[in-house]
Amino acid sequence: MLRNNRSASAANLPRPKAALTLGFTLLVTLAACALLLQAGASPPDRVPSNVAWTPETIAAASSGDAFRGLLLAKRCGHCHGDEGFSARASTPNLAGLNKLAIWKQLEDFRTQKRLSHAMDPIAASLSTRDEAEVVAYFSRLPVFTDPQDNRAFPQSRPDQGHAAIATHLVSFGDGERGIPPCQACHGPVAYRPGVPSLMTQNTDYVLIQLEAFANGTRTNDINEPMRTIAALLTEEERKALAEYYGSGLGLQSGSSTSPK
Amino acid sequence: MNWRKLRTLFLWAFALSLIPATRYYQIDVPLLHFLRGHHVDPLSLHLAGEFVENNLGTEQNSDGSVTVRMIAQQYLFIPHCIVVPVGVPVHLRITSADAVHSLTFNGTDYAVKVLPGTVSQTQLQFPKAGDYKTVCREFCGAGHYAMRSEVKVVPRDQFPALQPGERGTCAAQ
Repeated sequence: MLRNNRSASAANLPRPKAALTLGFTLLVTLAACALLLQAGASPPDRVPSNVAWTPETIAAASSGDAFRGLLLAKRCGHCHGDEGFSARASTPNLAGLNKLAIWKQLEDFRTQKRLSHAMDPIAASLSTRDEAEVVAYFSRLPVFTDPQDNRAFPQSRPDQGHAAIATHLVSFGDGERGIPPCQACHGPVAYRPGVPSLMTQNTDYVLIQLEAFANGTRTNDINEPMRTIAALLTEEERKALAEYYGSGLGLQSGSSTSPK
Repeated sequence: MNWRKLRTLFLWAFALSLIPATRYYQIDVPLLHFLRGHHVDPLSLHLAGEFVENNLGTEQNSDGSVTVRMIAQQYLFIPHCIVVPVGVPVHLRITSADAVHSLTFNGTDYAVKVLPGTVSQTQLQFPKAGDYKTVCREFCGAGHYAMRSEVKVVPRDQFPALQPGERGTCAAQ
């Protein structure tokens, strides 16, 4: 045992008994701290999307070059159609859609906030800059006043009952349940940032997405509006709305397509 | 002493003071928060901070009161259905993601002005159990007239026992 000449400390550690006691106390304290900290630790935040509509983000998403987008979008036509109208009912039409709306979905696919077997690898290969260019291209593809020209295949009109239900929900929503009118965000009355126009969309795609929001499969809507609304709608209403938009009824009553 | 001026002043003061009497009982003027420097970023509420999705709803405090966190946005109050116990103080913290809204509860005379950029904090109490509809009373855009949500006030034994990280809500999702 070495004696420390300057030793005025009460520890006198070289003694094995004291060392063991000290070590044991330290270990217990550390374990207690770890347990206590773990009990107070909060679960990780649930973030629906990494996109926030700051002026910088909006500028970055809207400033793409449409010609470069055309070159990048050559392979998109396989599923989304060469003119932006998809021949597959479950794949969305992209022609004429708002830039920010498509850009946000591409970003969400890229950051895995929205999951899709088809889109995940494609979005992963695009940079943020590429995405801006692709959406600039799609937003410039023309849409037409005749609903049948806006679809790659005919989609049937809803029956009388469903048309009435859907028109009411689109124009007024439902105050009783607190469902806002669809046209206040999806157009033609108003377009909120990042919200897509539905007037040229495919029936099955709209229905699939509404059901995905309702059962929690899709969660990338900022501050939960679509999850809330889709869960409040009944199954019949979701079907009626999908038929309404898919058959182009919305386009006939609206005066203009979405802002680019 | 200019009595005429004094009388004019008095009449104006009287007339203007009638305006608050016609409004709902407005509590917590959030504009003052800006002066005190309390800021939140309305665009990034969902990314981090107090108003992320899993932190919204009712939180049980250790003194028996509850804290309710909400977001008002065009055109929904999130969470769409809140559950609180009857008769306990409810600390409400609400902010807006976009426009100016006003959260009011049918059947009470509470009205809370909600501004983007700051958190409106106030204390409410519901003495009677039941379902109260909440209505937005500040025009906020095309969907304002359908902007409603719900508060379920339940007896204390029906109020769920919440864990520290857990938030109570009766929303469908």
